[in-house]
Amino acid sequence: MAGNNSKITVLDPVGQPSGIFGRRLNVDSPMFAIHDPVNQPRDTAEAIGARKMAPRLDNLEGKIVYLVNTGFAGSKEFMEEVQDWFTRNRPSVKTKLVHKKTSMFTDDPELWAEIKQNGDAVIFGVGG
Amino acid sequence: MEDEYGMPSAPIVTARFADYVQRDSRSHGMNLRFSFPPYPVGWVSRETLHGYVEGNDPISGVPLMEEVIFALTHPLTEAEKNYKPVKRPERRRLLEPATEADFHRLFLENGWTDGLPIVLPTEERVAEMLTGTDRDPQEIVGMMSVTTHEERLKYTVEKVAVNAVMAGARPEHFPVILALGASGRPSMPSSTTSFASMMVVNGPIRNEIGMNYGLGALSPINYANSVIGRAWTIMSINLGDVRPGATFTASTGSTINYNNMCCAENEENSVWEPFHVRKGFKHDESTVSLFRGWTVLGFNTGPAHRMLEVVKSISGPFGGAFTFVIDPLVAKSLKQEGYDDPMKFSEWLVDEINPRFKRPEMINLIVVGGEMNPMWVVTDFPCFQTVAIDPWIPKAGIKKDARPLRMPEAVTCKDGSCGIS
Repeated sequence: MAGNNSKITVLDPVGQPSGIFGRRLNVDSPMFAIHDPVNQPRDTAEAIGARKMAPRLDNLEGKIVYLVNTGFAGSKEFMEEVQDWFTRNRPSVKTKLVHKKTSMFTDDPELWAEIKQNGDAVIFGVGG
Repeated sequence: MEDEYGMPSAPIVTARFADYVQRDSRSHGMNLRFSFPPYPVGWVSRETLHGYVEGNDPISGVPLMEEVIFALTHPLTEAEKNYKPVKRPERRRLLEPATEADFHRLFLENGWTDGLPIVLPTEERVAEMLTGTDRDPQEIVGMMSVTTHEERLKYTVEKVAVNAVMAGARPEHFPVILALGASGRPSMPSSTTSFASMMVVNGPIRNEIGMNYGLGALSPINYANSVIGRAWTIMSINLGDVRPGATFTASTGSTINYNNMCCAENEENSVWEPFHVRKGFKHDESTVSLFRGWTVLGFNTGPAHRMLEVVKSISGPFGGAFTFVIDPLVAKSLKQEGYDDPMKFSEWLVDEINPRFKRPEMINLIVVGGEMNPMWVVTDFPCFQTVAIDPWIPKAGIKKDARPLRMPEAVTCKDGSCGIS
């Protein structure tokens, strides 16, 4: 080993980017898979790079806005307060409060299809 | 909803997680329009929640609900329409030359260590570590992330060797460390609830590399147990991308993360089949079994009904999962009570705790200890995986030093003194 003031060379200990990401659980994933790299569903950088945000609405007048309770502690009560706010402040906006049937980590395609069919926009809450 | 269903969305997330979710959103291809009420939302009064909804987003300073409506109705900017995730750069194999003192500072200040002194991974030391396996240094071993969502980092045999050197390991330990790497499982997955892990080695390699499964096996009195357990955490930091607050969110953290309760099973003094044999491996195969949960729930002594009393009063993150680390004396006692197979004990315990929740495979018994006291330790850990070590061992056998490093073994009672002087 070199002396105290001599320069040495060492290897970088950090891993390389893989282009593989984790994603929400599938409906049939075991609950603990969200913390399980073997069973957790994956996304690729290519798929992620192709994603687009949806166009926005001109306004919310007469529109149906789904309020989705994600299932974290306090979410249900918070989203009820959001619904009350709309009732008091924007009565022309129709809101529908729904609760995810699956866990906060899990996909809920049945609910998404219902929202797509019957709604115009969606508010998710509350994460964390 | 945005991409697959074409539905404008306004996600509301507490302000404590603002950086976290914005980073997550960007890395998943969208710069979503979040709104942030204060934290926490759980276990606060209804009046408090009412105030959050009526009040401002503490980060933007804008009234929360105005922000929500803006998110749904304001046209997308060009940047939002054409957002491209930032690609992380490839890392260079070698760091810029520096002095030893500067490297120690660099590793510490970059968060590449567990905070304890490390062995610097020079090319010479890493090359020596690589003699602990026949595998190509550039072979990909796996991918890891402590998060559920961020980009996994991939790593080669050489990259695992770098982290093994840092932990103070020798080539004889390398096959076990490679098996840990091959699992892709970090020892300290990110959760606000603070996870902990345990690793237990079975099979012939335990004795070949001098692991402790007897007296004090969970204490820092054995070189192999210490450096292998530490290596898993240093790998988790560097290969699993630990960045405190950004990717690692354990609210209190856990001291178990330092060494992951690394030990071996006392197959020699157990009255049951070894744990890995119960998992479908052969006696002469070497494995490492990985467990994870929140923490050690308690220590106690005594027979089956005492174990039941304790687990009835506790809970864990993976409902109904418990792993008992039991002294060989406890295993012998349980066998005398009629449990000649540990699965029988697990089935009995599940029936007593909750007959509707029949998953006896979630209750594990590992025999570890020096028969000084019929102690057992109960954790809320399920066993996630048992990984084969043999594929990583050189064909010529485990690469040992000419004079392998060994700490003092526990004094036995061969001379009648029982270690009492």
